[in-house]
Amino acid sequence: MNTSRRNLLKLATAASALAATGTIPTLVESAFADAPLPARKALPWRNWSGGQSCEPSVRAAPANEAELAELLKKTSAPIRAVGAGHSFSGLVPTEGMLLTLDRISGVVDHDPATHQATVRAGTRLAAMAEELARRGLAFANLPDINKQSLAGAISTGTHGTGVGIGSLSSFVTGLRLVTASGESIDCDAGNRPEIFNAARVSLGTLGIITQIRVQAQPLYKLKRRTWIAPVDEMLEQVPELEAKNRNFEFYYIPFSGMALGIVNNETDEPETPTPVNEDDDGLRELKMLEDWLGWTPSLRRWAIQKALAGRAAEERVDYSHKTLATERGVRFNEMEYHLPRDAGPAALREIIDTIEKNNIKVFFPIEFRTTAPDDIWLSPFYERKSCSIAIHQFHEWDYHPYFAAIEPIHRKHGGRPHWGKLNTLAAADLETLYPKWKDFLEVRATLDPEGKFLNPYLKKVFGVA
Amino acid sequence: MRRAWKTAAVAAVMSLALAGCGEKKEAAEPVKLDARLAEIYSHTCQTCHENAETGAPPAHDLAAWKPRLAQGESVLSDHIVNGFKGMPPLGQCIECSADDLLTLMKFMAAPALEAAQEEKEH
Repeated sequence: MNTSRRNLLKLATAASALAATGTIPTLVESAFADAPLPARKALPWRNWSGGQSCEPSVRAAPANEAELAELLKKTSAPIRAVGAGHSFSGLVPTEGMLLTLDRISGVVDHDPATHQATVRAGTRLAAMAEELARRGLAFANLPDINKQSLAGAISTGTHGTGVGIGSLSSFVTGLRLVTASGESIDCDAGNRPEIFNAARVSLGTLGIITQIRVQAQPLYKLKRRTWIAPVDEMLEQVPELEAKNRNFEFYYIPFSGMALGIVNNETDEPETPTPVNEDDDGLRELKMLEDWLGWTPSLRRWAIQKALAGRAAEERVDYSHKTLATERGVRFNEMEYHLPRDAGPAALREIIDTIEKNNIKVFFPIEFRTTAPDDIWLSPFYERKSCSIAIHQFHEWDYHPYFAAIEPIHRKHGGRPHWGKLNTLAAADLETLYPKWKDFLEVRATLDPEGKFLNPYLKKVFGVA
Repeated sequence: MRRAWKTAAVAAVMSLALAGCGEKKEAAEPVKLDARLAEIYSHTCQTCHENAETGAPPAHDLAAWKPRLAQGESVLSDHIVNGFKGMPPLGQCIECSADDLLTLMKFMAAPALEAAQEEKEH
């Protein structure tokens, strides 16, 4: 066991001991004594990037389904559920009740024969993956951030990469939701299938999901390979790379002509030491180059290429949940669209041209991923083999000019926006992108006729007055 | 604009609560979390503050917390309310009140029970 894992265990043990035994008020405590503190409702809420905010009149954290049902029955105000606050779009902000499922979390059970597990909705992906691993199970895929709650991730169609692997929503084999009236509904492919097909990606608008049955698989290891190549070479090799590898993605580094490729494949090889995560340092260096050389793109390109020259390919072996997700220490706002797979490379070339011809102020790499089709009504991958192109802007900078320049390219190629990421589409745009749009609206109106789970952003999305 | 003022007001109140924190050199006793806060800690703070990869100051690592506390109350409260680097606003604790957030911070900035007991035994 390496030192950091030992330290983590030691710290975790200490935290448990504190909770269990209860100890000493402290010298530090005395420094804070008697200070006036604002009421709970006075604290504003902001998402991870800081781009969305609200001042809910009530914050609620029910401990179980019964408490939740009672709360929903009694509350007439608008209600929005929030997971880890990792959505960049306006799904969460409300002046009514902000509801967290943090206390409805944990893995309930699993079936060793089918490799299915029942997980409470508020469970964060990282914690879920650790617990599943203890039970000898793993998800077929994970997004590259693992802080989200499971309900938040599936409700927004959150995905990883892999041409043969669907989004996290596609792993759902059944779920339970508590509706606006407090009714508890279990659904799956055979039981109330119309609700199941709608609920697997439903933006928190059908009710509050409380537990989710997921299809996992036996715990497995991945061998990850990363390398640098000219972006033209990477784009030409997309069909081969996605076909020959379990997971394939790449990042284009703006104003460099270069891309960072990443592939993962299953392996039985022994784990390798966990490398130091250099992503955040790399981003800070790219920002520095933008700050210093943003006025001269050709010099910036030379400097980035010089920095990347001679960088050897790297390999790492570890369990999937430790390989697929990474830490993000530099915050950003994000727009991601899911395009028909065959349109992806041409769309990315247009995006790169637009950024570099207009010298758009950006240093975050552009991400290119692939996802398998599914049959979920509001899934951006509905009956379509897709590639996803994501652009990011540093959280302290205004994202509007950059995203406004790129969004028309996504739309021209038939892109569907990631539900949790920034976009400007409204109901009239969305209904042309989703063949089952009206079916979803019918289920939503039946389960929540008063629009208890809608906020202003969602009213625009669904065209509700 | 109104919201910006309200945020500033919350930060100011938290500043008052944090006042003196930077000067306390002997913040050497563990802080107790009740069961509710221990659960909140495990869902929120622990995710980053017990993961060296995130760059967040590790819980109970006094050397890592000292320079943070030394930045002073206004900086610290601003980081708690508005987020800083990878730290999300309010630690993304939805149910936390301001005093919950302060207790959680004090818990992390103080030694772990285990370490404190070892110190006393020696």
